[in-house]
Amino acid sequence: MYELTEEGRKYLKEGLPELKLLEEVKKENSIKNLKESVENFNIALQWAKKNGWVEIKNGNLVLKKSPSKYEMYELLKKIDKREPVSDEQIKILLKRNLIKKIREDIEKKAREFVGKEITNLHPSLIKTGLWRDVKFKKYNVKAVGKPIYPGKIHPYQKFIIKVRRKLVELGFKEMTGPTIETEFWNFDALFQPQNHPARDWTDTYSLKNPEYGNLPDKKLVEAVKRSHEENWKYKWDEKKASKLMPRAHDTAISPRYLFKGVEIPGKYFSLVRCYRPDVIDARHLVEFNQLGGFVIGENMNLKNLLGLLKMFAIEFGNTDEVKFLPDYYPFTEPSVQISIKHKDLGWMELAGAGIFRKELTEPLGIKVPVIAWGIGLDRLAMCSLNIKDVRELFSQNLLWLRNSKVL
Amino acid sequence: MVKEFKGVMMPTIEFSLKDLENLLGRKIDIDELRNNGILFVKGEIEEENEDVIKVDIKDTNRPDLWSVEGIARELRGHYKIKEGLPEFKIKKSGLKVIVDKKVENVRPKTVCAVVKNLKLSDDAIKQIIQLQEKIAQTFGRNRDLAAIGVYDYDKIKGPIRYTTFKSNELKFVPLGFSKEMTLGEILKEHPKGKKYGYLLEGKKEYPIFIDSKNNVLSMPPIINSNYTGKVDENTRNAFIEVSGHNLEHISIALNIMVTALHERGGEVYSVEVNYGKDKIITPDLKPRKAWMNIDECRKILGLDISPEEMVELLRQSRFDAVISGNRIEVKYIPYRNDIISERDIMEDVAISFGYNNIEPEEPKFFTHGEELHIEEFSSKIREICIGLGLEEILTFTLSSKEDLLKKMRISDENLIEISNPISSNWEVFRNSLIPGGLRFLSNNKHVEYPQKIFEIGNVLKMDECMETKTKDIRNLSIILTDNTIGYENISSVLDALMRLIGIKYSLEEIRHKSFIEGRCASITVNGKKIGIMGEIHPEVLENFELERPVVALEINLDKLMRITS
Repeated sequence: MYELTEEGRKYLKEGLPELKLLEEVKKENSIKNLKESVENFNIALQWAKKNGWVEIKNGNLVLKKSPSKYEMYELLKKIDKREPVSDEQIKILLKRNLIKKIREDIEKKAREFVGKEITNLHPSLIKTGLWRDVKFKKYNVKAVGKPIYPGKIHPYQKFIIKVRRKLVELGFKEMTGPTIETEFWNFDALFQPQNHPARDWTDTYSLKNPEYGNLPDKKLVEAVKRSHEENWKYKWDEKKASKLMPRAHDTAISPRYLFKGVEIPGKYFSLVRCYRPDVIDARHLVEFNQLGGFVIGENMNLKNLLGLLKMFAIEFGNTDEVKFLPDYYPFTEPSVQISIKHKDLGWMELAGAGIFRKELTEPLGIKVPVIAWGIGLDRLAMCSLNIKDVRELFSQNLLWLRNSKVL
Repeated sequence: MVKEFKGVMMPTIEFSLKDLENLLGRKIDIDELRNNGILFVKGEIEEENEDVIKVDIKDTNRPDLWSVEGIARELRGHYKIKEGLPEFKIKKSGLKVIVDKKVENVRPKTVCAVVKNLKLSDDAIKQIIQLQEKIAQTFGRNRDLAAIGVYDYDKIKGPIRYTTFKSNELKFVPLGFSKEMTLGEILKEHPKGKKYGYLLEGKKEYPIFIDSKNNVLSMPPIINSNYTGKVDENTRNAFIEVSGHNLEHISIALNIMVTALHERGGEVYSVEVNYGKDKIITPDLKPRKAWMNIDECRKILGLDISPEEMVELLRQSRFDAVISGNRIEVKYIPYRNDIISERDIMEDVAISFGYNNIEPEEPKFFTHGEELHIEEFSSKIREICIGLGLEEILTFTLSSKEDLLKKMRISDENLIEISNPISSNWEVFRNSLIPGGLRFLSNNKHVEYPQKIFEIGNVLKMDECMETKTKDIRNLSIILTDNTIGYENISSVLDALMRLIGIKYSLEEIRHKSFIEGRCASITVNGKKIGIMGEIHPEVLENFELERPVVALEINLDKLMRITS
């Protein structure tokens, strides 16, 4: 069996060179000009003469006859469709390098299928054109395909990415800090006195290894110490402040940035894991994600704080039905909680917020109001992903991951 | 800024709505309390069961609001039943409490009071006990900083001595028991002794209140005596003491107790507490003074309100307030513990005004948002992993030594360790993502194979140079498992990843105990080691109870990002 060479395939598509010459001769007779306009002019001329289509007169080509069908072209069509051609014709085509023999093993393979009913369409059948001589077995096209499992972003990660994008769209810059913090940044820089119950071991983790870190800039430490001793009236302990602990809340990051210097006015956020010892159940994990940050500006006030929180309710809670509740944090005054009305779950806490106390901002060198806010991301994700048990956010169940929806 | 995980701190109190009505002197229903009542005391109704209401009081710095008496006093101001500074008349009781020098090294301070003519209802007794407990627990940090004793004054003969005794030197019947026990026995056997005994650990002698007839009142901060220390509806006159380490702190606790009993119709009498030559008269309810700047208040709240309105709002919060130039000067009763500076007064103006009466106004200035570079880079890597058909997993950064070391056949890693873990499952921070991935696979052995997973997350390592002696590193792990799978499969994945981010890398054979020898390589870019790749050692598979071959790689994305940028 034979198939077209690349040249043969080209001529089948565009026509043989002698046919092209024939067309040109109808418009132009000068050999010199035809040589330029006709590809493979010599081959074309040789076959056109042989076929008795043209003759040369005074350096010009003269048309003698124009055939309605050209056998050579018809042969190419036949080969392409694997129709039989004579040995003599094969010889000519081989000589012109327009066809080549199909590998015998391929032909042999294809012949095995001839006359049979096949399931898979073997490549040899296409190559040899012998697919014309086989029957195709019918499939049950209503049968559902075998499941396959594409690569996927984790559902919670997807939610986190969405939240991050949203905050960036709203003009917030992302901050981050170390997972292991000194108590100084986690507590002291936030004006939480060293004898505050929230610093008790029942409520936060501490480290066995390593145990102590370094305190930052001496002037800052001095200012924080003064603020504590003057306002809370106790002896501030430097050693305690340098104790290391896993970050217990995202707010630990804010004083680092405020001290380092931020754009004023400016908007900042962080989205990090935090750690607190707790009994693990459907509502509690020892490791959880918090979203928080601050908005800083000369004219920031309680009204703006409520406005910011309402905006979060619309962006993240899909509702403008909100309620503000007076709240308490050692580092903000005034402090507020915002609750939103969830369409299925009723009223729920969305965020805690407040204006950083001056006793906190002044030691950091900040002279303008700072609105601080925080959102419990795990709870928000549970609502969004319709999850009842917080442990499922970090599910160890591959089946659940594979079947969770992407939309 | 989120409290949902902090249950320990926030006091939850229970009271009856009827009792509140009686104290208020007016009707109130649950809806009014919810919408226009409880918010004035930073409360939130948690549960309502017919007449009984459970309320979270969110201000851990306002212990005066941790009882229905305190709540009623505050609400009377907001309902305009009684505004301004509450009045308290204190008469002299003539009782003396002699503080022995010996208590100095044990539990050095006490303040005391007498409250007479009590007619305590069931509700009232419940409230007083609840208040006493909440204050000792939260404000007193589990009785360490403040413990409160309430006694039947009619059974006591003054003067009272506050002194110490050795463990076997003294016997008394502790509350709820019927036999006499030594101090040592009480600490060992009484439930309260077992619970709070650690507060007296290492002391040679224990603190004791004892009267002139040698009747023991109590051993603070552990337990009252059964004879004098039992208070019920028949108690008419009460002696109250608060013990601790700091006079200012325990005075607040005492003031809260006596003013609450005052709300119940009790008459407050002072006690002379003698510290050697120094004597103090307690309780001290003299109003304290503070001030705030009027313009600053307007600026911080964003509210256009007149000084007169501010005065009115503050009087509703039970302050005495007068305008003085550009300031408002206030007086308050020292059961409040929370007024450090003018902001604290401004917040009370806002709460009185009602947060929900303030029109919210979004900050209007324009800023450029930006995510962290490593997050942006992680997203790109995540996209490639998804394209490679990998499924993302999310695991905890806290792990166990068992998983990170023993199961991985590693013996000598310096891990970051927690000193107070709740269990050994959460005792150390992961230094690699692969163990968490293997644990994930072992939880999914019944799920269809192949399983191809990846995780992008932080691992933690020691770093002496850092302020926190530790360092967060963003890593990527890819783990593949199937019935037949080998080194070449993970090597192809690495090659695709590196090709798609346009980085040339080299592989070097290394030995690592978690991988099969001769099937483990380090991944190097520009002469920097950025990761490891190989086939997991069968013993590791056994340790994680895995039954199919596993290949894995782990790459430091921080380093990779620096190289690409």
